[in-house]
Amino acid sequence: MDILDSLKMAGTTLAANRLRSALTILGIVIGNASVIGMVGVGQGAQRLAAEQFESLGPNLLFVSPGQPGQRRATLTAPKTLVLEDAKAIATQVPAIKEVSPQIQNQQQVTYGSKNISTLVIGTNPEFLTVRSFDVERGRFINEQDLKRNNRIAILGPEVANKLFGIREPIGQQIRIKNISFEVVGVTKPKGSFLGSNQDDAVFVPITTLANRIIGRTSVYGLQVTFISVTAQNPASMSAAQFQIRNLLRLRHKITGEDDFTVRTQEEILTIVNTITGALTIMLGAIAAISLVVGGIGVMNIMLVSVTERTQEIGLRKALGATQQDILIQFLIEAVILATAGGLVGTAIGMGGISLVSSFTPLKASVAPMSIFLAIGVSSGIGLFFGVVPAQRAARLDPIVALRSA
Amino acid sequence: MQKLEDKKISEVAATGKPAIVRLEHISKVYGIGETEVIALNDVSLVIEAGEYCSIMGASGSGKSTAMNAIGCLDRPTSGRYYLDGVDVSQLDDAQLAHIRNRKIGFVFQQFHLLPQLSALENVMLPMVYAGISSSERRDRAVAALTKVGLEKRLNNRPNQLSGGQQQRVAIARAIVNQPVLLLADEPTGALDSRTTHEVMNIFGELNRSGITIVMVTHEPEVAKTTRRIVWFRDGEVVYSHLTPEEMLHVAVAAT
Ligand SMILES: Nc1ncnc2c1ncn2[C@@H]1O[C@H](COP(=O)(O)OP(=O)(O)OP(=O)(O)O)[C@@H](O)[C@H]1O
Ligand SMILES: [Mg+2]
Repeated sequence: MDILDSLKMAGTTLAANRLRSALTILGIVIGNASVIGMVGVGQGAQRLAAEQFESLGPNLLFVSPGQPGQRRATLTAPKTLVLEDAKAIATQVPAIKEVSPQIQNQQQVTYGSKNISTLVIGTNPEFLTVRSFDVERGRFINEQDLKRNNRIAILGPEVANKLFGIREPIGQQIRIKNISFEVVGVTKPKGSFLGSNQDDAVFVPITTLANRIIGRTSVYGLQVTFISVTAQNPASMSAAQFQIRNLLRLRHKITGEDDFTVRTQEEILTIVNTITGALTIMLGAIAAISLVVGGIGVMNIMLVSVTERTQEIGLRKALGATQQDILIQFLIEAVILATAGGLVGTAIGMGGISLVSSFTPLKASVAPMSIFLAIGVSSGIGLFFGVVPAQRAARLDPIVALRSA
Repeated sequence: MQKLEDKKISEVAATGKPAIVRLEHISKVYGIGETEVIALNDVSLVIEAGEYCSIMGASGSGKSTAMNAIGCLDRPTSGRYYLDGVDVSQLDDAQLAHIRNRKIGFVFQQFHLLPQLSALENVMLPMVYAGISSSERRDRAVAALTKVGLEKRLNNRPNQLSGGQQQRVAIARAIVNQPVLLLADEPTGALDSRTTHEVMNIFGELNRSGITIVMVTHEPEVAKTTRRIVWFRDGEVVYSHLTPEEMLHVAVAAT
């Protein structure tokens, strides 16, 4: 009996019991759809992160307070990074181009009777070039504003929209913590970054924010949330990282472990990728469990099927089928079922992914590799969970089987 | 009755034709200890090539057990069995499957056709296991179905056929691999008298064309159409060579 006959025979049997075949593969279908969906979303998240990092601007380094370990131990960041550090970096590190410190806080911002909570970012004029932002209308913070602690604000497009709608915000007065600021500009839409919406923000001069709203917050000076730095060129990234670290160790009089972290864009991307990668694996693993459960479902129904088809098996043996013939027949049925489940599930998963892609910024997609893998694994699961029913069928005593009327 | 007593000797002098079936001291015991059932007790039986033979006897007398042993579906507890000259007691499962496929055709009381297959496909099934090419399968299946008068029903499913037609499909399936031995356990048990007659005609024809047939039946009418009747009682062969007339006497005595 050759494999083509076996395939045809299995096909006929499965087609004759269409409803049961469909129900049998349901678990595998769901398992595959979730594996493909989860992995697709995970990979989409990874791609989104990469894209967003690219949109941050070139040659970027971030200086943030504390060490990753420390930050995990305490909920709030240590107050070790101050505005003076940013100034020192700007003046004393040769490999850098520009520096933009940043203090940010969630604040109530009001205009007339409108009241919203948004991220207020105190920064300097270099922010625009360092972080690749653009002004749509009006202007951004300038040196004058910094020197005079000017109460001016630049709105992210989303804040402008929430507070002013279609009206022109420039020239209007808004209030942040009950201090009034004049709106002098609106930034161009930038999209979100790692889940936070960069357009939902208000930019003010860092000095104004420090002196008029927050005040001195660290014993060392004015605490900043983090400092963005651009290197001269891609080649000077590591030099910049090294020089900044040396400078800050000197300034902070550190002999032991650093109380700050200097990371390049790539390093952060790597970290984010590790996190999203782990997440993808976890989601995939959960989905894979459902695939295994689907395999057990196939085994269950196949066992029932063997019992129901006892007479058929007896007859086939009487007609000359060997144990091996019967074993192969049932194994092939299980593999066909599971593979079909894999195909249908993958198709559903892909459909789900394209839905996610069209309704969210997640450009979810699945590598062809994952598709082949998912279908291959499904077939394997069919083979694995088909063995027990197939062996039971193969070992049936033909007389007992024929007699069970 | 004197004549009948002579027939009790199970081995009658051979006629010179080759033995298709030679059972030597075959016993079959089911269960052990308290629940032990001796289904066959030291049965010796020779069926020669070309014979047309019925097996009769009361219910539970061991007829089906004997048929299963003859059909290589079951292994006797003891004794030797030569099928067409081959000692099948020594063969393993795969070899027995091969023997069933090539040398034996089965016809069952409940037809045992596969419901999802057409008449043609059902008849082709033994050839699938024989590894015959698919074009030859088709030709031979059509020929076999024509032989049983079903050339117009090739593509009907079993549920689109009458009981008699289904049994004829089963007969076509049994002969399609050109077996040396056709075994039928109560082939007319599920049929009415008209279709019984049809099936017996086909059997008669097949036998005339040279196939050895052994059939279990409870119906004297059916057994009468065969030339030799073997009578079982309590797992033993009590008469091995009854003529149809002698069988009627025994049958009356048995009831
Ligand atoms: N698998 C089994 N396990 C135990 N006992 C069995 C088994 N198969 C048959 N027997 C017993 O063996 C004896 C012979 O059974 P068998 O089926 O050969 O009878 P039979 O002559 O074919 O009867 P019937 O005319 O009713 O078909 C019976 O007593 C039966 O109960
Ligand atoms: Mg019986």
